Amino acid sequence: MEFFSDKKVKIISITVIAVIVLMILGAAGNPVLSSGVNFLTKGLFQVSASAAKEGDKTYDELISENKALKKEAADLRTQLVDYYDLKEENARLWKYYKIKKDNADYEIMPGAVINRDSSQDFYSFSIDVGTSSGVSVSDPVITENGLIGFISSVNAVSSKVTTILSPDLQAGALDKRTKDSGVVAGNALYTDENKTTFTKIDANAEVKKGDIITTSGIGGIYPENLIVGKVSDIKYDKYDAAKYAVVTPYENIKKVTDVVVLTDFKNKGEIKRISEKEDN
Amino acid sequence: MDKKFTVVRYFAYGIEILLLYILQATPNLMPEVFGGKPLLLIPAALTIAYFEPELPAMFYGISCGVLLDFGYGDNVGFYTIMLGAVCFVLGWIFSDYMVVSFLNATAFNAIISTGLICLYFLFFYLFAGKNEPGLYFLAHYISRIIYTFLCGIILYFINKGLFRSLLDY
Repeated sequence: MEFFSDKKVKIISITVIAVIVLMILGAAGNPVLSSGVNFLTKGLFQVSASAAKEGDKTYDELISENKALKKEAADLRTQLVDYYDLKEENARLWKYYKIKKDNADYEIMPGAVINRDSSQDFYSFSIDVGTSSGVSVSDPVITENGLIGFISSVNAVSSKVTTILSPDLQAGALDKRTKDSGVVAGNALYTDENKTTFTKIDANAEVKKGDIITTSGIGGIYPENLIVGKVSDIKYDKYDAAKYAVVTPYENIKKVTDVVVLTDFKNKGEIKRISEKEDN
Repeated sequence: MDKKFTVVRYFAYGIEILLLYILQATPNLMPEVFGGKPLLLIPAALTIAYFEPELPAMFYGISCGVLLDFGYGDNVGFYTIMLGAVCFVLGWIFSDYMVVSFLNATAFNAIISTGLICLYFLFFYLFAGKNEPGLYFLAHYISRIIYTFLCGIILYFINKGLFRSLLDY
């Protein structure tokens, strides 16, 4: 009896008995073990069998076909990327073409926004064109939706743009409907709402909501008739009660990604030329 | 004495500064929180200065300052000078007189970041006569200060890790 008290012997004995029982059950037409195992592995076999299913082609043929398909897929991907690039460029060029077509006197230089640094106030940004592309300080920056700002500093390869949301920008402007004149200048009160102001207007000016504000061209810094935006509100200064209009630009200045710099236009620097004449 | 790890560490700081600059300057990349985006290069320069001697600290302070100033215009200016000076002093203090700990690094970060951003506002907004200074400060600068300070905590651990793992004994 001491022999049967050993643990290993007990396990071996039980295993042998279980195998014998299963053999007897199988022989009697009741394969419990194989049914259980097949039930558990059926799903796995279905997947592996379908994957390993032999087709009409040999292994080598499949390898070469796979290589050819991979190459074709890579070529198509490249073509697709090119297509998207061309599509984007085409859309951009159409915008520039429209600007140029509408204003034959404009010399334009397209630029892309490359930097919106955290230290810059009033949503100023940098673009990827500089003096090497003919850009100079004070050049107006626009999109097809109107005035965006001006070049406040420039180096050989990039330029900083001060936007119309900044108080640093002061542009002569007028109400297209009433011809009331004034100055467009940014105001910290409205910067976050992507709005600017039309200030220094006459107390009796008939500016009202919905009017379109454009540049007047006076001063020779900005060409005339550049759209600044639409009047969205009429307000009075809290200090001197002067009337001013809140103007909403048609472009989202905070998110703009492509712009055009006007490197030259008709009557650019007109004041300078007039004073030179007077001097002479 | 072999300075292999020191060279690698200095190189790593350079890469870190470059990456932070790209992160800070790329349009629509860093999320704006309550009208403010962080000035990552300020805490980067400060946290490097806690671990390095005064001269390398100053060098990295100047580098970060130059990049910050380039964000505003094309000339070196306010941040270059201020960060160069501040980082030199920090490098000197922490090399000879103070031990770097999370607590004092955080305190210095908070005071210096806030001070620099407020001074910048004073010189370039208030003294420049731009309108609604109080409103603009509340709407943009407060969040910028807090955001910058919070990023400084992360950068402290990054630079501490860099310093410890790339140290020549």
